[in-house]
Amino acid sequence: MADTELTDAAQQQAESIGSADVVIGVAGPVAPDDLRAGAAKVVAERGSDASSLRYVFAWPASNGESVPSAAAADGDSGLALVPFVAPPSGGEFWADVSAHQRAVLALAASLNARVCIVLGSDLAALQPQAIQLFAYAVLERQCGLVMPVYPAGKYDGLINTGILGPLHRALYGRRIRYPVAFDFAVSGSIAGLLAHSSSGHESGALLWPVAAAACESPQCGIGQVHVDVRHEVATDGLELSAVLGQFAGSLFQEMENDAAQWQRLRGSQPAPVWGSAPRDNGNGEPIDAQPMLDSFLLGSKNLDEVWRLVLPPNTMLELRRLTRAAPDQFRMPDDLWASIVYDFALAWRLRTIGRGHLLGALTPLYLGWVASYVREVSSFTRAAVEQRLEQFARAWEEKKPYLLSRWRWPDRFNP
Amino acid sequence: MWQQVEQSLHSSMARVMNKIATLLPGILAFIVALLLFLLVGWLLAALVRWILAALRFDERMSRGAGAMAEWTPRITPSLLIARIVFWFCIVAGVIVGASAYEAGTSENILSGWVLAYLPRVIGAAILLLAGNVLARFASRSVLITGVNLNLSYARLLSMGVRWLILVLTGAMVLDHLALGGAIVELGFGILFGGIVLALALAVGLGSRDLVSRSLEREAARPVEVPQPERIHHF
Repeated sequence: MADTELTDAAQQQAESIGSADVVIGVAGPVAPDDLRAGAAKVVAERGSDASSLRYVFAWPASNGESVPSAAAADGDSGLALVPFVAPPSGGEFWADVSAHQRAVLALAASLNARVCIVLGSDLAALQPQAIQLFAYAVLERQCGLVMPVYPAGKYDGLINTGILGPLHRALYGRRIRYPVAFDFAVSGSIAGLLAHSSSGHESGALLWPVAAAACESPQCGIGQVHVDVRHEVATDGLELSAVLGQFAGSLFQEMENDAAQWQRLRGSQPAPVWGSAPRDNGNGEPIDAQPMLDSFLLGSKNLDEVWRLVLPPNTMLELRRLTRAAPDQFRMPDDLWASIVYDFALAWRLRTIGRGHLLGALTPLYLGWVASYVREVSSFTRAAVEQRLEQFARAWEEKKPYLLSRWRWPDRFNP
Repeated sequence: MWQQVEQSLHSSMARVMNKIATLLPGILAFIVALLLFLLVGWLLAALVRWILAALRFDERMSRGAGAMAEWTPRITPSLLIARIVFWFCIVAGVIVGASAYEAGTSENILSGWVLAYLPRVIGAAILLLAGNVLARFASRSVLITGVNLNLSYARLLSMGVRWLILVLTGAMVLDHLALGGAIVELGFGILFGGIVLALALAVGLGSRDLVSRSLEREAARPVEVPQPERIHHF
């Protein structure tokens, strides 16, 4: 269980605070002075409706770090700063973020907060407008979980666009654009559920708020807010196959844990969105998809024996047909890509091959999808891309019966 | 004269039959012991699997270091332990059967040679199994990593790794079985040393000009400003 450890001084402070209305926690290392400055701005610019709310800002302090002297609870402004020590994780970036997120949620639950807002460690979302939107969605609109909608271009967040988003939607029946995010908000009741969700027992497991909320509290309202926040993730040294493996592996594990729940869900519900969407930045120049296509072709030439262990004969036939297509006509059908990801999820569960190898073998297939997607949307406007993504997500939902059949009868149903 | 030939034939046949009659009880004892231990092994394996399933052993193992699951993904830890127990009983049955055969025939050939050699055979079998598993795991790791690094010779590299490990395993198994003696060691040393020397000579001498030209080109190339990445996977 991801228990929050409070330093001695912070423990005393938390006990003196007793409870809070809004807990805003930072899920990663941050300079206390920067947090204090941002927090003061948020509290100063809160609306009149929120003037009576008590805010607690929490950040992860390293062991032995003392609470800054100016961080005492300020009763007049309704602001308090509390450090906490997050439990150790697997050491990887996203695992660390998830461990910190759980710690923030646990702290909010212990303080009986009405709203808990988790922010990325770069404090990009520590803006008055974003905080107000999150709080509004939870307090006024009674949402149990509020996820962000970031202003992303059509070539941004492709792992989310290609796998995480549509898979989440098909499984858990919620149309959430970013099922895993640096920033999100929860109500007090959901904070406790998420902090102690089943995946928290595994070291290095990522936190999937939408999946956990949909499974632990099916009636929980889930909404989204447009936030004009861009998180810059340092990509130097990060290998695509490692990151893809971490996300996909974690989601596959979540699938295995929640199998009893998502098998009962059909279709998907739209999630309300608040805030104003960002302006369309224009089409941008087309991107050369040839390197990604070359990676896919190299994979199909060399990994055929590995893919054959995971994918059924029909899918292998389709992939071979794709490798013979001309580069300008290369297009991976939506249902083919959905069935490939479903088959990999099943192979994860059945341990058909080593899980590390399984996730590594997914990378060339993912790059094949990216090449197909990039070619297709190169001339699309923002609205056309959204329409295309909606069509893409529906294909995953329509392919769900295939997943159910293979999941329940893996030996008997093998098209 | 023909009577003498007939008598000789009769007496030799009698000796053969006598020998067979002497061996039969031993063979029967061996078969009975083996069948008995086969049954005991099957029952013990089923019991071990039931106990481990009740203890949720597979789930606990998968939560910890998943090394065993990565190396032999299709065989769960509990199944592996059950199979080890089963085959241990079979080996014990063979040993007991051999002792029973020896007691039945009053001959000490087996105890002198087969039983002394049996541990080597078991060790060699384990070495062979481990080598195969390692070769398969390593070759697949190299293949997948090579493909993800866009190496066109990934498959060749993977095959090379596989055969290197298999040849090493084969040499270790033969050495463990004390077969071939110094010939195996010498042959293996020559093979590996030759391959390494050939590679070193090929790279060092054969690509000397290529390396110097490549270095010259690298030194003369203007500094390129890296273009910002337009596709963001994460």
